[in-house]
Amino acid sequence: MEFEFLVNDVLQKITVEKKENHFVFFDGIKTSEADIQHISANQISILVEGRSYLVYYAQDKDSRYFYIDGQQFIVKEPSEEGVESFRLGEERTSEGTLLVKAPMPGKVIKINVHEKDEVRKNQTLAIVEAMKMENEIKASVDGTIKKIHVSAGDLVDSEKPLIELEPASQ
Amino acid sequence: MFKKILIANRGEIAVRIIKACQEMGISTVGVYSEADRNSLHVQMADEALCIGPPPAVESYLDMDRIIDAAKQTGAEAIHPGYGFLAENAGFARRCEKEKIVFIGPNSDALELVGDKVRSRQTLEKAGIPIIPGMKEIVKDISVIKAEARKIGYPVMIKASAGGGGKGMRVVFQEEDLAPSLEAGMREAKSAFGDESVYLEKYIEEPRHVEFQVLADDHGNVVHFFERECSIQRRHQKIVEETPSQALDPKLRFKMGETARKVMQVSGYNNAGTVEFLLDRDKNFYFLEVNARLQVEHPVTELTTGVDLVHQQIRIASGEKLPFSQDRLEQKGHAIECRIYAEDPHNNFLPSSGKVLYLKEPRGPGVRHDCGIYSGCEVPIYYDPILAKLIVWAENREMACQRMIKALDDYVILGIQTTIDFLRDVIDHPQFRKGDTSTSFIPDYFGNWTGDESTDEKQKMALLAAAFDSIQISQSGKGFQTEKRQVYSPWLSLGKWRLGSK
Repeated sequence: MEFEFLVNDVLQKITVEKKENHFVFFDGIKTSEADIQHISANQISILVEGRSYLVYYAQDKDSRYFYIDGQQFIVKEPSEEGVESFRLGEERTSEGTLLVKAPMPGKVIKINVHEKDEVRKNQTLAIVEAMKMENEIKASVDGTIKKIHVSAGDLVDSEKPLIELEPASQ
Repeated sequence: MFKKILIANRGEIAVRIIKACQEMGISTVGVYSEADRNSLHVQMADEALCIGPPPAVESYLDMDRIIDAAKQTGAEAIHPGYGFLAENAGFARRCEKEKIVFIGPNSDALELVGDKVRSRQTLEKAGIPIIPGMKEIVKDISVIKAEARKIGYPVMIKASAGGGGKGMRVVFQEEDLAPSLEAGMREAKSAFGDESVYLEKYIEEPRHVEFQVLADDHGNVVHFFERECSIQRRHQKIVEETPSQALDPKLRFKMGETARKVMQVSGYNNAGTVEFLLDRDKNFYFLEVNARLQVEHPVTELTTGVDLVHQQIRIASGEKLPFSQDRLEQKGHAIECRIYAEDPHNNFLPSSGKVLYLKEPRGPGVRHDCGIYSGCEVPIYYDPILAKLIVWAENREMACQRMIKALDDYVILGIQTTIDFLRDVIDHPQFRKGDTSTSFIPDYFGNWTGDESTDEKQKMALLAAAFDSIQISQSGKGFQTEKRQVYSPWLSLGKWRLGSK
């Protein structure tokens, strides 16, 4: 079977077949055999050509986490929209404006701009405090502030749009 | 000795203190906010009381509720940990009035050293070298501007009540002064409830070297050598070690004696740390007293064999220090890494949420002071420190190797942490040489993106993911229970089809 996963936001493919008590996989270059075992709830042991890999593993509602020798891989199913991704904390609307979101849950300390303001790339739009540190939310492009959805003191999560930004025409 | 102590803190430090109390046969009272009902310290304490809603000002910073909790449970003493009320002279005074022992310095000393501006004045008079800068608090921006010009840019904005990097800003030119002051004051106000800030000359590329001191109520003041804490991000320490590579025995002696004098002049008792900046020419300047147990106290414990929390409790109960300065020595080398819930791959944004899985590093010479467990939630309301990883070895090189191995062996899944970033810091050639300063992180890690993952590890992750999907399909349990469309081709085949288009 061929599998497609988003691994750390990059689409990757692998073909794996189960054969009796082992697995055969093809990574696009060569075919190898692997002995793979769930050795505990959060550990998968892989033996490939005499090499031993211990993979730590956990999942939440839409991601699976794999950790191998100091490196974490977040694995997701490819989304329906394909693999187009925007900067974290931003989303493009159907009209082409950018919805700027808080990259983490927190409290809005200050909104530094007004509606209709023209802003430059990297200009600070708002300050959101989380875990007692202030984080500046910056514009990713030049543009105009179309709408401000929150005010100072609001608690926000990473879903709620803070500001709607209309990118300057190229 | 006390029979019952209330720990007015949360997270790893509350856990650390509870363990010390348990070892000494002292019963413990934990307090928690509504966001912390399931936190580790609540489970470990003998008694636990809710002291209010999640925001710290309504819980961990609320003196009335904490004093009430102590009275209600009959706790004879309060250990404040670090942060929150640890350096609040008003709280120490309140405890004194309520006849509850505050495990920390007396309120007068706390007030003096907590007021950075007044302590600078006092210590300068006593002949302690201080950093050039303002010696009083001014609110008038034009006066501050004039002071900045007099000091000469770059200048450092500091919170008078400060610590932990909160409220601190470096300003390189006058036009940035006003906005930085505004941000610094706001951060100081929210962190300490006091918005006073002042300016100091910014010393470029200094080392941050501090001395651990214990002082009892019988006039004995002893230092437990230095900790080097030059590796900082946003003025917040992330890696600490001892001994410092920058000190020779002569300088160590001189700085140690200065640290003792600072505490004597300040009328200080209990545990405290005297921080110095050491410039390129090995001149040292008094920076501030941290009037509390420090996050980085374990490196001192591992190299001197002294349990500083036990000593804090003993001092607070009136015991005499059982040490004499000339008998103390440092043995081997210790390094600490602070594990924060921050995403180093995304501008160190705080990462809250559920810890899906935790595997603690273990082994000879490895200590893990930890405030989390598999399945716990990391709330958004508090400092992002999750745990501290500390290693000890015979020498610095072995300690570095041991730390790298321990970091590799440390798994936290579900939230982002600084573990992989710290590993690269310890592995950096400049760090390995011991050539560090407070600009080490901006100089060498300003554009850090992390190792490109090796093809091999990535392949194994893919293989494990495919294996897991196969296992799930065979057991009939969907990895995603309620469903949007899943696009693994095999899932749309046959009876395991989930959802519909």
